[in-house]
Amino acid sequence: MRRNPFFHIAMAMYSLIYFVPLLWMALSALKSNEEIALNPLSLPTSWDFGVFAEAFTAGGLGKYAINSAIITGTCTTAVLLFGSMAAFAFTRLKFKFSKQLMALITLGLILPLQSYFIAQNALFDSLGIKDTRMALILPYTAMGLPLAIWLFRAYIQNLPKEIFEAARVDGAGDLRVYQTILVPMLKPGIATVAVFTALSAWNEFLLALVYIQNDDLKTIPTGLLTFSTRYSTNYHLLFAALTIVTVPMIIVYIIFNRKVIEGLTEGAVK
Amino acid sequence: MKPTARWIPYFLVAPAFLIFSIAILGPILATFGLSLTDWDGFSTPSFVGFENFVRAFQDKIYMNSYWHAGVYIAATLILEVAIGLLLAGLVSAKRNTTFYRVAFFTPVMLPLVVISVLWSFLLNPDLGILNRLLGQIGLESWQHIWLGDQSTALLTISVISGWIFAGFYMAIFYAGFQRIPSTIIESARLDGASEWQLLRGIKIPMVKNLTEVAILLCFTGGIQVFDLVYVLTNGGPYDTTQVPTTYLVRVVFRDQQMGYGSALAVILTLVVVTIGLIYNKVRTKDDAVVEY
Repeated sequence: MRRNPFFHIAMAMYSLIYFVPLLWMALSALKSNEEIALNPLSLPTSWDFGVFAEAFTAGGLGKYAINSAIITGTCTTAVLLFGSMAAFAFTRLKFKFSKQLMALITLGLILPLQSYFIAQNALFDSLGIKDTRMALILPYTAMGLPLAIWLFRAYIQNLPKEIFEAARVDGAGDLRVYQTILVPMLKPGIATVAVFTALSAWNEFLLALVYIQNDDLKTIPTGLLTFSTRYSTNYHLLFAALTIVTVPMIIVYIIFNRKVIEGLTEGAVK
Repeated sequence: MKPTARWIPYFLVAPAFLIFSIAILGPILATFGLSLTDWDGFSTPSFVGFENFVRAFQDKIYMNSYWHAGVYIAATLILEVAIGLLLAGLVSAKRNTTFYRVAFFTPVMLPLVVISVLWSFLLNPDLGILNRLLGQIGLESWQHIWLGDQSTALLTISVISGWIFAGFYMAIFYAGFQRIPSTIIESARLDGASEWQLLRGIKIPMVKNLTEVAILLCFTGGIQVFDLVYVLTNGGPYDTTQVPTTYLVRVVFRDQQMGYGSALAVILTLVVVTIGLIYNKVRTKDDAVVEY
């Protein structure tokens, strides 16, 4: 392999396109409004981290983060559990209508959100669950399931059939096989599906915008938008909010970068 | 295998299928039904046949929104797929490139709303650093109200989209490149092929099906683009960045026209499905290329 310092210099320069906006965001949080307006490119003159606490409590970011965590956690768990159960039945068990049911679920991979959210909105209205967390948990779970079942199915098909047959010979029922054999063997697939489902739920915007008006129940994307209109002139507080939302995600991402990249690309390509 | 008890498969499939039916399957059918009605969301819907569809095709804003989405898709094919392919070629040509790969992928996993708010600041005419930087390097004439000007707003959104998703396509192509048997690459190197020749002659042809998937994703994602546009311009200035989804949300939730909105949703759905069907027809079914 040829060594070429030019390559790394050029790549580092290109990386700046990614780092400068994020760095500018974090540094601007520490500046006063005048500093941001007059010297947008300079370093902050004082390092006052109190602004982050202010955004978190007074600005309500903490509350938005908790809502996001509850909703993301619930629907990811549901998708993993129900998705793996269904995928197991679809790949390893024979039953009536299995093909038809699978075909219907596959529809969910193709059809866009726009094809159902108007009627879904009316339905949630009549059920009285708009402005509750259920209004997001239910659709996010439903949206995650088709892909989860699809990916799990591919994983299960790659597992040797003999394992399942051997367990059967030993007298294990199907539910036991699912619990004791399938779930442990499915771990790499579970990680991929979990990353994909959790990030989609965490970042989802359109349904959250339409279904949740109560500020106490908003998730991070819609909450942040409310925040940005409420504090539209309080720039350093806004930058603090953006930083608070971004930095933990970047840290988690740096630790698990391989899983995250794998989860997002595989989820989309399949 | 035959299940050990007849009820077991149904028990396993039931929760997933019930949730999917209530939240997605039912509403899809209902949206198709509503598209044939006039409904404000409160009173009883009245049947109007295909009137909404006739109106949609005469609705200039709606028709133009597809043109805008088309421009956006064309721009992102270059800014996301082509640049992603190039970046993948670069990071796969050398060792120790994990840092760049992680850096370029970062925006992909952040909420689009957060990125949009950040960019609206970067481009802010008073505070933003882009105009400031242009001024400092002597390009005052390039300074611009990027998102407020009818002639630049849509392209500016496309460039931001490129900033976000080029790394996504890079990751897809990079994973594909890694699956090419290393003997092929090594023997080409021994024969004196340059990295550029390797990329053009071997790597890109061998991930042909991934390129097709990437183009499909660019089309289906682009026609449904919402978050970026909603936060950055919400369709403005003067509807020059109005895309099908932002207009749909406006018709349904601001104008309360559920029936007409459903018709717009049905048209959009048919467009997305048609793109998928065309892709299935034209894609390469060739075992010589690397599968993802």
